[in-house]
Amino acid sequence: MSGSNRLAGLKAKPKDTTAAEVRRVDEVGEARGFLDRTPRKKPGRKPSPRTYQLHPKVFPQVGEAIAAEAERLGITQGQLIENMWETYQRNS
Amino acid sequence: MPVIVMASPKGGVGKSTCAVILATEFARMGAQVTVLDCDPNKSLTRWASHGLPKGVTLHQDIGRSEIVPTIRASDGDGQIVIVDLEGVASQLVSRAISQADLVLVPMQPTALDAEIGSEALALIREEEEALGRTIRHAVVLTKTSAAVKSRVQRDLEEQLRGAGIDLIEPSLVARAAFSEIFAYGGDLTAMMKDPDMVTGGKVDKALENAKDFTEAVYERLK
Repeated sequence: MSGSNRLAGLKAKPKDTTAAEVRRVDEVGEARGFLDRTPRKKPGRKPSPRTYQLHPKVFPQVGEAIAAEAERLGITQGQLIENMWETYQRNS
Repeated sequence: MPVIVMASPKGGVGKSTCAVILATEFARMGAQVTVLDCDPNKSLTRWASHGLPKGVTLHQDIGRSEIVPTIRASDGDGQIVIVDLEGVASQLVSRAISQADLVLVPMQPTALDAEIGSEALALIREEEEALGRTIRHAVVLTKTSAAVKSRVQRDLEEQLRGAGIDLIEPSLVARAAFSEIFAYGGDLTAMMKDPDMVTGGKVDKALENAKDFTEAVYERLK
C-alpha cells in the first residue's frame, strides 16, 4: 500500500456540530455514565501577586532592597523589619 | 478527509498504539496526518517528543470544550485526523465519537476488556440514534498472540461477529516494537533501519502487521 492517490479518494462525511447537537450527544453520554470529568479548578481566591510595597511612602528601590535581603536570609519581610526595629531600639 | 477516533472507557487496551500505527502508516502513504492527544497520560506526546515522522503533526492538551472545534479545524483537505482518547467514560469521549468517520474500539481478547469495551459500542449506537446518522465503527483486537489464537479470542470473535459488530482483521499482535516505538519515536520503518534501536523483537513482523491493519482501516474509510 503506497501512494497518496489512493488517499485522495478519502472524504469526511459532513457532520452538524450545532450547540443543540453537542448537547444531545452530552445527554446520551451522561445517561450511559460518560460524564464531564474535566478536572475542577482549585476553589477560592487566587493569592494576590507580591507588590513588594511595605508602605505607600517607602521608595520602591528601598522596598525592593528589603524584599531581596529577606529573600537572601530566608525570612519574611515582616521578620526582617522586626529585626530592624529591635536593632533601632537597642541603638537609640 | 476522515476523522478516526480511538475509543474505549478502559485504559491499557491499545488505543495509543493503534493511533501511532495508523498515524505513521498513513503518513508513509503520503497523507498529512493530524494527531490529537486527548489522553491525560500523554502517551502520544511522549512518543512525539522523540521525533515525529514526516507528515504527522500533533496537538495536545485537548479537553472537553476544545475537542469539537479542534477536530473541525483539523478536518481540512488532505488531512487525516486521528484522535487518541482517555481510557475513561467521559463527555470528551462522547463528543469525539460524534465527530468520527470511523470509531475504532480496541480491546484485548479478555472478558473484562470485552465487557468494558462494549460500553463504547453501546454509546456509539445511542449517538447514532440521537444524531440520526450512522457512525461507522469497528473492534480491533490487540496484544493477541502471534503463535496461537486462544480459545477466549476465538469465542470473543464469534460473539462480536454474531452481534453484527465489524471486527478488523488482522488483529494487532503483541510485538515488542509496538511498545518500544513510544521510547524511540518515529515509525517502524525507521526503527527497522536503525541498528541502535533495540526492541528485542521482530520489527519486520510488526511492520507487516501494522501495514495489514492500516490497509484494513483504509478499506473502511473509502
